[in-house]
Amino acid sequence: MSKDIAQTEAKGLPRMKPATDILETGDGFFIYVDMPGVRKEDLVIDLSDDELRIGGKSAYHGVANENRIHVEFGNVEYTRAFTLSHIVDREKIKATLKNGVLELHLPKAEKALPRKIQVELE
Amino acid sequence: MVIDTSPFYGGMDNFDRVFNELWGPLNISQRRVAYPPLNISEDADALYVRCEIPGVSVEDIDLTFTDSTLVIKGERKIEKGKYFRQERPTGNFQRVVNINAPVDVDKVKAVAKNGLLEIRLPKSEDTKPRKISIDIMN
Repeated sequence: MSKDIAQTEAKGLPRMKPATDILETGDGFFIYVDMPGVRKEDLVIDLSDDELRIGGKSAYHGVANENRIHVEFGNVEYTRAFTLSHIVDREKIKATLKNGVLELHLPKAEKALPRKIQVELE
Repeated sequence: MVIDTSPFYGGMDNFDRVFNELWGPLNISQRRVAYPPLNISEDADALYVRCEIPGVSVEDIDLTFTDSTLVIKGERKIEKGKYFRQERPTGNFQRVVNINAPVDVDKVKAVAKNGLLEIRLPKSEDTKPRKISIDIMN
């Protein structure tokens, strides 16, 4: 397949906002993004300034010689952006892709973590 | 907190819905009607049922095939924490697929990869079209 054809096909994919959960735990934030069918090599994560942008194309294959009987999903292009709070430690952001779910761990910076303060009795 | 500033920010409003309908693949017949979404196809040797179930581990999927009915059951577990946004479906799910073709039950195979479950149901030998040679008598 030539590069031009590949680009045209990519443009033709319907764009979709992936279902996302954002939650906070004691040490930071977790973002879970449903991206079924997306391979690791097709996943794009960009962090610039305060914006975290994720994207990916699902790549289903093996249906070329098959006769389709019923269709409810197909290849799509996922795209979504998040703005990060200043309490996130940008250097320690981790991303894992497992079972079609992108998990982003955004740890809080040391200064933002809750601290116990000792009270001294006189 | 983390703020979501996707161009499609917020839930699905009417505009989003219309937009998604317009841009959706043309051959989609029942999108978002049932969970998980599934595709059914066939070739000469087998029927294929594929469904999108991201985040479900193989141990949490229960597949049964009885009386030409395939039942896909499972559970999407919820993560613990303080939720700012929750859009991913959670809890138990089930879909029933009627297979109107004789299937070789012993050879049914299921594979899960990248959030996609693929079930291959081989057609039983009796139903495959066979070439019959006809002798022409002069």
